[in-house]
Amino acid sequence: MGSRQITEKSLAMLRSLPRISIGNLRDNPGHKKNSKRGRGQHGGDKHGAGNKGSGQRMNYMRLGYETGNNPFYLRMPQEHYYRGHHFRRQYPPLSLQQVQLLIDKNRLDISKPVDIASIVKSGLYNFFPDQKHFGVNLTDEGVDNFAAKINIEVQWASEQVIAAIERNGGVITTAYYDPHSLFLLKDPKQFFENGQSIPRRMIPPPDAIEYYTSAKNRGYLADPEEISQDRLRLAQKYGYELPKLENDPSYEMLCERKDPRQIFYGLDPGWVINLKDQCILKPKDEELVRFFAS
Amino acid sequence: MATVWRSQCAFARFFAGKTGLILNNTADLGAKVRPDSISVSKRLYSNYGNSPFVRRIQEQYAYEVVKNPPEWSYVERLLPFEGIPKVTPKDCYPSGWIPRKEEASNLPYFLQRTKNEELSIYLDISCRGMRKISKIKKIEGDIWLLNDELKEYLKNRYNRYIESRVHELAKFIEFKGDYVNALKEWAHSKGF
Repeated sequence: MGSRQITEKSLAMLRSLPRISIGNLRDNPGHKKNSKRGRGQHGGDKHGAGNKGSGQRMNYMRLGYETGNNPFYLRMPQEHYYRGHHFRRQYPPLSLQQVQLLIDKNRLDISKPVDIASIVKSGLYNFFPDQKHFGVNLTDEGVDNFAAKINIEVQWASEQVIAAIERNGGVITTAYYDPHSLFLLKDPKQFFENGQSIPRRMIPPPDAIEYYTSAKNRGYLADPEEISQDRLRLAQKYGYELPKLENDPSYEMLCERKDPRQIFYGLDPGWVINLKDQCILKPKDEELVRFFAS
Repeated sequence: MATVWRSQCAFARFFAGKTGLILNNTADLGAKVRPDSISVSKRLYSNYGNSPFVRRIQEQYAYEVVKNPPEWSYVERLLPFEGIPKVTPKDCYPSGWIPRKEEASNLPYFLQRTKNEELSIYLDISCRGMRKISKIKKIEGDIWLLNDELKEYLKNRYNRYIESRVHELAKFIEFKGDYVNALKEWAHSKGF
């Protein structure tokens, strides 16, 4: 069939067909693209998304997942770094920079000894004793700008932090609190309103005793004589002159410490605080006095 | 909990039935107790604080009530602040925090600080860390003028056009990209 015949035949066909109108117009095949993804017989296959998984659902695989391979983090059968991590004590950090900010913003009263109760009272630090948090870890961020003379009691501190505080003529102590006492320190008002007597602070667990009896860490159970020697040693190590505490006008404040069995400054275990009548109930019974004095 | 409750109910039913029978058998004693008089009271002593108060405490332990005690200052020290403490002016602020200046109130726009005396300039990271938007909140006054000035400032500093979005009603401006430090520097230079 020659091309001439094709042309003639097409023209003949056109002549026999009805006239072009809106009723018999149609888009070119493949012109229109459906925005919807057809299902089943209506073109339903994978649509470029692959078979199942993140391609189809636009979800992101979990960290370390290797699409069905044995993941790298599970390939080695034993790694003991995290054994018992859910039993370990945690100390949420608080930097010296943040402490300085609290002081600058009048949230911390440094004319009085600072402990975890006053840090939480500032409203800019929070911790959760029920989540294995055992108090403040004072970190050395902002160590060069720290310029306050404070008597601070934290639960964990590094050597640099101790040096930074003692350089300014301050005093630092690391002290252990059991979770129950930490609940009281977190919200003392709620506890006083309960009408219960202030309990004793528990002694540290066996694995923490070493830390809190060491003068190097300024532990609250360490020998004061050793602490004063270590203060001098640290001053020589970091090259600053140790300010004399005895000549300080706020000597009494700087020497104020808690008893190892005491939770709040100046309040003994066994007392009941009545906030409504502003009075304190002190036990006189010999049995109780002996119990709380131990 | 549900199983405990069910078992308690079962026990109550069983007990009620038994006593009923026993009472019926001992009707000659003349005691008339209906089976429905038996009640199972539920007490939860899981918390020491929930347990009932000790009454007549004097019989228990000797104690003394100290009125106006000298130790009350220690108690007051522990009580929470009544409001957020006001920042008093100081010679220097070693933490790097910069207070508000008086000259800022003369400008046609104003950036309000938060209750913690911080500038409300934030970085919003979204889309799996791919989109960074710097946001200035709490803008009072002429927000459009502020937008023009900030755009000019950022353009001079970074030598490129920076997209912004002004929300007049909600009083915030958003800049596409991480310019939080630059914006904070600008705000401090203006005294906000």
